[in-house]
Amino acid sequence: MKTYDVMVIGSGFAGMAAALFAANRGLSVVQTGATGGIDFSTGFIDLLAVHPIAEQKVWEDPFAALAALRRDLPAHPYCRVSDDEISLALQEFTNFLGQHGLCYRGRDKKNTLALTSAGTLKPTYLLPCTLWNGVEAREKKANTLIVDFHGLKGLSARQIAEVRKDWPNLKTARINFPGMGGELYPEHMAWSLADPARRAELAEMVAPLAVEAQYVGFPAILGMTDTSIVLRHMEELLGRPVFEIPTLPPSIAGPRLRAAFDRGLPGLGVRTCTQKLVTRAESSEAGFHFTAGSGSTSVDISARSAILASGRFFGKGLKADRHHIHEAIFDLPVTQPENRGRWHRPAFFDPQGHEINQAGLETDAGLRPLGADGKPFHPRLHAAGAILAHQDWMRMKCGAGLAIATAYKAVASL
Amino acid sequence: MDFFSIGLTLACVSAAGGALWRVRTWFLRGKAFAKGGNTGPGVFRRFVGGLADVILLRRTLRDGPARWTGHMLLVLGFLPLIFLHAMDDVVTRPIFSAYEPTLDPWQFLRNLFGLISLTGLAILAMHRITRLKHESIAQDWALLAVIGGVLVSGFFLESFKIMSPGDFTRMTDDYFPEAESEELLALKTYWARENGVRFTIFLPTAPEITELGAQLHEDRCAGCHAPTATAFVSRSMTALVPSSMNIADQGRTVLWYAHVALAFIALGLLPWGKFFHPVATAANLLVRGGSRTSSAGNSSFSSGLALDACTRCGQCSLHCSVAPIHKVLGNRDILPMDKLLDLRQHLDGSLSPTGTAALVEGSHICTECLRCTQVCSAGIDLQDLWATSKKVLTEAGRAGVDGEIRKSTAAEWARDFSSRNLGRIGSTGAGLADRAESFWGCVQCTTCTGVCPVVAVSEDPSRDLDLAPQQIMNLLRMGLKAQTLGARMVWSCTTCYKCQEHCPQGVPVADILYELRQLGADNLRKKEGRA
Amino acid sequence: MITVTTRVLIIGAGVTGAGLLRDLALRGVQALLIEQRDVNSGASGGNHGLLHSGARYVASDREAAVECREEGAILRRIAPQCIDDTGGLFVAVRGDDERYVADFPSLCAASGIPCRGLDPGTARLVEPALSENLIAAFAVQDGAVDPFMLSLDNISQGLGLGCSMRRNLAAISMDVSGGRITRVRCRDITTGEEVFIEAEIVINASGAWAGMIAALAGRHIDILYSMGSLIVTQDRITTQVINRLRPPADADILVPGGTVSILGTTSIRVSSPDGCRPSVAETNSIIDDARLMLPILERTRYIRAYAGVRPLVSLGPAGDDRAVSRGFSLIDHAAEGVENFLTITGGKLTTYRLMAEKAADMACAKLGVSAPCRTSTEILPSSTLGKWTEPGRGPRSWVESRTEDDIVLCECEMVSRGVIDSIIDEAGAMRGRSMLKAVGMRSRVGKGPCQGGFCGPRITGHLYDRGTATSTQGLAELKTFTERRWRGFSPILWGVPLMQAELQEALYCGAMDLEFGPPPSTLDEESEKCLAAKEQP
Repeated sequence: MKTYDVMVIGSGFAGMAAALFAANRGLSVVQTGATGGIDFSTGFIDLLAVHPIAEQKVWEDPFAALAALRRDLPAHPYCRVSDDEISLALQEFTNFLGQHGLCYRGRDKKNTLALTSAGTLKPTYLLPCTLWNGVEAREKKANTLIVDFHGLKGLSARQIAEVRKDWPNLKTARINFPGMGGELYPEHMAWSLADPARRAELAEMVAPLAVEAQYVGFPAILGMTDTSIVLRHMEELLGRPVFEIPTLPPSIAGPRLRAAFDRGLPGLGVRTCTQKLVTRAESSEAGFHFTAGSGSTSVDISARSAILASGRFFGKGLKADRHHIHEAIFDLPVTQPENRGRWHRPAFFDPQGHEINQAGLETDAGLRPLGADGKPFHPRLHAAGAILAHQDWMRMKCGAGLAIATAYKAVASL
Repeated sequence: MDFFSIGLTLACVSAAGGALWRVRTWFLRGKAFAKGGNTGPGVFRRFVGGLADVILLRRTLRDGPARWTGHMLLVLGFLPLIFLHAMDDVVTRPIFSAYEPTLDPWQFLRNLFGLISLTGLAILAMHRITRLKHESIAQDWALLAVIGGVLVSGFFLESFKIMSPGDFTRMTDDYFPEAESEELLALKTYWARENGVRFTIFLPTAPEITELGAQLHEDRCAGCHAPTATAFVSRSMTALVPSSMNIADQGRTVLWYAHVALAFIALGLLPWGKFFHPVATAANLLVRGGSRTSSAGNSSFSSGLALDACTRCGQCSLHCSVAPIHKVLGNRDILPMDKLLDLRQHLDGSLSPTGTAALVEGSHICTECLRCTQVCSAGIDLQDLWATSKKVLTEAGRAGVDGEIRKSTAAEWARDFSSRNLGRIGSTGAGLADRAESFWGCVQCTTCTGVCPVVAVSEDPSRDLDLAPQQIMNLLRMGLKAQTLGARMVWSCTTCYKCQEHCPQGVPVADILYELRQLGADNLRKKEGRA
Repeated sequence: MITVTTRVLIIGAGVTGAGLLRDLALRGVQALLIEQRDVNSGASGGNHGLLHSGARYVASDREAAVECREEGAILRRIAPQCIDDTGGLFVAVRGDDERYVADFPSLCAASGIPCRGLDPGTARLVEPALSENLIAAFAVQDGAVDPFMLSLDNISQGLGLGCSMRRNLAAISMDVSGGRITRVRCRDITTGEEVFIEAEIVINASGAWAGMIAALAGRHIDILYSMGSLIVTQDRITTQVINRLRPPADADILVPGGTVSILGTTSIRVSSPDGCRPSVAETNSIIDDARLMLPILERTRYIRAYAGVRPLVSLGPAGDDRAVSRGFSLIDHAAEGVENFLTITGGKLTTYRLMAEKAADMACAKLGVSAPCRTSTEILPSSTLGKWTEPGRGPRSWVESRTEDDIVLCECEMVSRGVIDSIIDEAGAMRGRSMLKAVGMRSRVGKGPCQGGFCGPRITGHLYDRGTATSTQGLAELKTFTERRWRGFSPILWGVPLMQAELQEALYCGAMDLEFGPPPSTLDEESEKCLAAKEQP
């Protein structure tokens, strides 16, 4: 049986990034995880925007925020990575995505406010290029038309216009999506726009409504693997800049990322065991033996080192019974509130965030998770992403950034 | 008219008449399919390919050496027996003027070919017993029995002939009438010792008598009789009859009738059922011209021929991708081999209504995966037959479960099914769709529907499919199974498993959809009164 | 300022108030029902939905047991649409008090309650979820009742007979002079508008709030507030009601309700009926106890928890709250000097009709109305008001009668846009502060496994599309709705529901930054007073 250099456990942002970085460094990589591990991504690469969360202080400069965070929260995983490492990691990551049809854009050392499906503005660091014209349109408060579709549940243009009263030149229109009726699903719409004729039909329906508009916004359905081509074609057809607005997850952003990795990682020699969760793990001096999946389709894997990027509860990296939180694969100790009564706060939107979201793995400086004795569990086991303790990616707005940066650091520490 | 002539005449009439009738059905059944002309590779290539399939039994080799070896041995042994032995008066004697059945090489060859044939037959019988026992029907065993009977009775007949003192006496009466009694005794002594004839009288052993016997044999017998030892099988078989038993003469007579009768039966049965396969299958292989894929443009003649070419080797049934459903439903017409039989009867108009219902169900469970066509050693374009028969059945208003379901709306089915006891999936206990645990993981993310290619190609999913996959899961979670069974989503699912692969929570969506289909089919069968 | 006159003013639209409205209407007495929040906001909505056979009370309160038996029979006759006549089992497991088990059949017989012994094997055949450690089982005539449909059907008939009702109208003071309540000052909590109501008789049917309402007239009622928490499972665990065969205690009843089962309850003394919510500690203790009877409760998926406050009228020194009678109290305040003021409180869902009858009898006596009570013989017509709260109706109607172009907005319970539109159109006149909450109250929206996580934003989008929500008010409504669901959701977060909650927070906060922006509406949020009384360890 082949012994791989690295086993990456997880297929979310952290897992994908770890597999990419390890493969780029010439290591032999095997990756397991749910096929849909990244499907729920919004596509935004947040770095850091809110700190301290209880004060809901929003930062325009994520690196200034990082400096403050490192000062205030010495246990936060961002304290394990330097600004340089973060920048290099994001660069390598977005370069790869760019090569595989997913272009990202942001401002140097500045968060950008992006429009969400709820009409709210979300500070993020890097965003898919298909969204960028929307950022400009909003900043200029330009005459803009947002189109949505009968039967598409994930986005209401009118809601955006109502919530964004500070953007008076925002107009909305609801139309039928050409060639489809009833309930619409973003992935199907996106695939159907691979056909230029379908794009022409769509443009023909929108053009008369967009006469006064300088910009036209659509729900994020403009193509699946060829977004930039679809977007450019729509701009040509409509004669004005076009942008997308992310729909309610699961949106098209996740499948687009998944498609980009599906195209790019095999070329780097990464072996992926799709739709397989690790069901058994053994570690020894020499390395690790895993069984992924169960029954007749299970796979045995040997690896010298491993990166645990299995995520939190929804990702199945952590699991909770009625009393305790456990780490799912090695049963590593999980830092957690003392009882379930303290996991969540009485108010869902409590600005302090829920304590359970800070639960997770403790690590050393090289992101090696600690065992019960407080020492690294294994010299070549590293952890990355949301499974790490002392961070609340949802409230701090640091999900993808933290995942990519810690994956970078974990690979560098191998 | 003696027994032989009457038997031969009857057998020939049956063989010829039956064969004509069989060939007629190739045209008639084909016509029912109303097909267009023939297309395919060039005539020469087709001929060579077909011939190669016939002579080398190339297609039979595909499923392992046993059947190929068995068939090869049987053909290599049996054809010479037919021409050199059974038809010796019309074939062998005119060609070889010195031919005598009791002379070598003929006597030896007969035994050799007989042994080869029997070995081949034994291999085929073992193959059928070990691998196809459950797929076999009476005529499969009948063919083996009749051919085996002809061969075995032949060997015994020869064996008894060797032992028969009556035959010896008949020969000496005919060819050595002037023999002195001492000479006869000497000759008997020689034949008893050297050629195994069993006399009941005492035979002297004095050297001068044996010497005389040898000399007389050389003068009188050897011209027409090789030593019986070269009939190595039959001669060895004499050991099977204890010397104390004195039945050689009677046995010889009985076995002659048995052997001849069996041979006539074999000839007479030739056009009936599987006995015809050496002809029909060979013809079909020639017509197919070596093709292993399916071609929609088969002529009506070749379809008719194809229907008749089945050798019931069972390979198609063993490779059938919906064979597991046969295990659950027990309908034999799900398996290609039996479906073909009923299809023939259906085309002849002789299939019972229950048989037709079973055929309709079998036809519509078939996924036209091409496997049966690929493995068919008779080279039958089964794929094409299924596609066409499905069309013919549908046009006749027999659209199968799938078609029945589509005759009513999901709402109508919901009302219908709500009023019955649906039972469990496949009547085999709680299925996934019945188990609450199946849906515990669902977080309502709609990913299953988002990735579904069936939903993707539908213009309006709720109009064309009634329910999306995640809606079906939710209905089942709420215990509303009756509401899901008639949904066209269930019946349009291609079981591509994308939903199941992408479900972040491990809900077995595709497995459940498949189960629902089975349950729906089960209930429709019950409705038709075929529990 | 508006003044409204009526013959009878009923305060509190729980099931008793609803029953009173119908009762008086059937006697030809014009009545007005007011409610500070919405129908069944108190204990009428926060219970098992159990139609008691009476067997639970055979040892502790024979009178209550007999009432339950008689009222159960009446309700089965007059309101079959509200009842799922499941039958029930009383079961004991190893370690339970065997003397109680032994006495049970004779106690039932003494109260005339049919009870049939089953051997444990047979019981487990009927209900496979029951524990292997079963030692005894008895079949009784328990059933499940939909309290929302029951109240709405009662109200609907009352309205049809000329009575009226106002939601969101809180009584804030009473003018008492000459030994009579002359008028009741009310405030519309959504608009702030004040309404004066002049009535010949005022009936206080405000359940746990009865003491507060009585205080408006200067009267004092000693009421104990006993909070009970319940948990809803995702599936229907059993076909019948399952009771633990022991003296009434926590976590001893599992009631099937449509496609789910409801497990509970606890009994915790709280100091106020307002703002109570179930806690993690309670859900833990409920499951720890009930799993002995039904082991699957440890593994199964839960949907949410909820709590209700039982009003227990104190009859003496307080011990265990369960020792206080579950029988109801009808108080004529005439004895205390207020002639036209009655309070009806306590009791059980099963006996609501009897409570209404007794209170209406007393009111009619005061009014000089001689018409007899007809509620036990008149069939309760089924109304359309409550139809979308019925589990399974949404999905059935989606399959059977959806219109073209309709889409499902709530996936869990398959509530379509068309259904939501019809609810909004009907509820429009009810002027709810939060239309999303009003939709939640009148349908299964938010009651499925996602607890509003997906349907909340979708319906919010639809409210904007319709123009029902404007500016950031829709987002505020969504947040209010979310906080409302969170009360019930947060106590059951482990296993899959925890994943569900994490996904919801990732959507709401991770993707949409909803923790910023307009705060959830607090106008109809109750004070959190009682929280202090029951803070978990």
